[in-house]
Amino acid sequence: MDNKDFRSFLAAIDASGDLVQIDDEVDWDQELSGIGRLSCEKDGPAFLFNNVRDYAPEWRVATNPIATWRRLAVALNLSADIPLRELYQVYAEREKVMIPPKVVSDGPCKEVKITGGDVNLFDLPVPMVHEGDGGRYLGTWDLVVSKDSDSDWVNWGMYRFMIHNEHILTGYPRPTSHLGKMLLDGYVPKNRPMPIAIVIGADLPSHIAAAATFRITGNEAELAGGLGGRPIDLIKCETSDLLVPASAEIVVEAEVYPDRIAQEGPYGEYPGYRSGEMGNSLCARVTAITHRRDPILTLDTTGFKDSSATTTSISGAIAIKRRLEKHGVPVVDVYIPPESGVHLAVVSVKRGGSEIAQKVVEILTARRALLSKIIIVDEDVDVFNMSAVIHAFATKCHPDRGTHIHRYEGRANALTPAYSLDERVSHSGATVAFDSTWPPDWPRETTPIRATLDSMYSPEIQKLVTERYKLLGL
Amino acid sequence: MVTEYETFLRDLDMVLSGKESVLTLRDLTPGRYKYRGINVKAIVSKPPRPGEPLLWLRSVVGCKDPDPCSVRILEELPETLEGRPYSDYFSALDRAQG
Repeated sequence: MDNKDFRSFLAAIDASGDLVQIDDEVDWDQELSGIGRLSCEKDGPAFLFNNVRDYAPEWRVATNPIATWRRLAVALNLSADIPLRELYQVYAEREKVMIPPKVVSDGPCKEVKITGGDVNLFDLPVPMVHEGDGGRYLGTWDLVVSKDSDSDWVNWGMYRFMIHNEHILTGYPRPTSHLGKMLLDGYVPKNRPMPIAIVIGADLPSHIAAAATFRITGNEAELAGGLGGRPIDLIKCETSDLLVPASAEIVVEAEVYPDRIAQEGPYGEYPGYRSGEMGNSLCARVTAITHRRDPILTLDTTGFKDSSATTTSISGAIAIKRRLEKHGVPVVDVYIPPESGVHLAVVSVKRGGSEIAQKVVEILTARRALLSKIIIVDEDVDVFNMSAVIHAFATKCHPDRGTHIHRYEGRANALTPAYSLDERVSHSGATVAFDSTWPPDWPRETTPIRATLDSMYSPEIQKLVTERYKLLGL
Repeated sequence: MVTEYETFLRDLDMVLSGKESVLTLRDLTPGRYKYRGINVKAIVSKPPRPGEPLLWLRSVVGCKDPDPCSVRILEELPETLEGRPYSDYFSALDRAQG
């Protein structure tokens, strides 16, 4: 099945048994998102809510499109059962192939157009995601388009946006994000509003590309084409020259003020906490809303193991591997467990030791320091097997000389719950590398041997055991 | 007629001085406009004064003070506050207070 739009993706996960539809009335105020939240925590299905309190039946809400590896695989037109290592390999291959988008003159996202004084954000069934959030979040599973003021660089990112009133949104793309950089370097100094488009319910490759760790000035529309194996149809906005995926369910066009702010947050975020980072955000005025007939608003019930965890896990790990290779680190594999809230990376290397550990932590914190912990293991440890990783970390990481702490100012992750409020506000933090490799200068004859089947048994016995298991159906 | 609001504060004691404060209030009236925000100049009272809308205070991580206040709105302010993107929202509230 070709996931050309969000609805065909829903049909595909329905067919794979990964979607539950609810026709009973469900409240947009926490109930709907609570159902989605629990599903994330239980590795459960995505939900489609067909009857949302206070809203007409044509409005529907879908939660957590790809919060499991199964649904991420389906989003990339792969079998839901594909092994994780293979999924990573397919993603890495497709990421290398850029397919330019096509500009079209008409598309489903233009079926209904609302502009000017008719714009009212409360006409959309935007959920209250968590009790105690600063407001209702429209942008959770979104794709935000912005354009550099001085060049042709267009950025797609996945950023949170909250409703302030009928036509004002506040948002928190980090100041170090690509959108934040465009705004602060280009528009604010000229005191010009920055047009943006918040796209909801586009084809899945477009959202995955927006959430991906991708190079600055890179074109995410081309990346989305590569990931999905087909060009993305783009269409011009009503009130700006920005181009958005034509198949989108909803497009909210807005202008970010260069000189105005309003309350944003707090919000329960992807690390799995509400960390109190409110107070440093941007503010935008909505200029138009366009949508499909019978639109589906998408929601990532942000928190532990949400949809962004899988996307940033896979794209972030591949980006880390490429960066380490570029700097001469003998990296074999990288994995970011979704359970870590994108705070932990596991890196396997051909040759480890203190020098490599120090180099890894310095490279991975040079610009933006989103990770706070890195476990470095030898290449005989499968990074996708967390039991093996925990075993290596617990037994091979020296509590003193195996710990490499790198501190930094101004680029730490403000959403890291371990940081104090002062550290979060000033973006001060640290990343630690746990060297769980054998020191390279240890002689082979005295280096401990792991007591596992693949290490402490002869190849003949391993073969016999494996065959016996097959015969036993184990 | 709104009967219940909430607000988020860095320092909960700041608004309890009996003086005028600039706050963003979130309307808690059930229905599709619930959580709509307004910026106001107001006086907060604790314990709540009869006849005034209830006001729940929340911290910057959304932790709710279990004892409500009440709020008397003196003036509704513009929907946005003066400030550069990413500048401190609480400082902008202070500036709006004059």
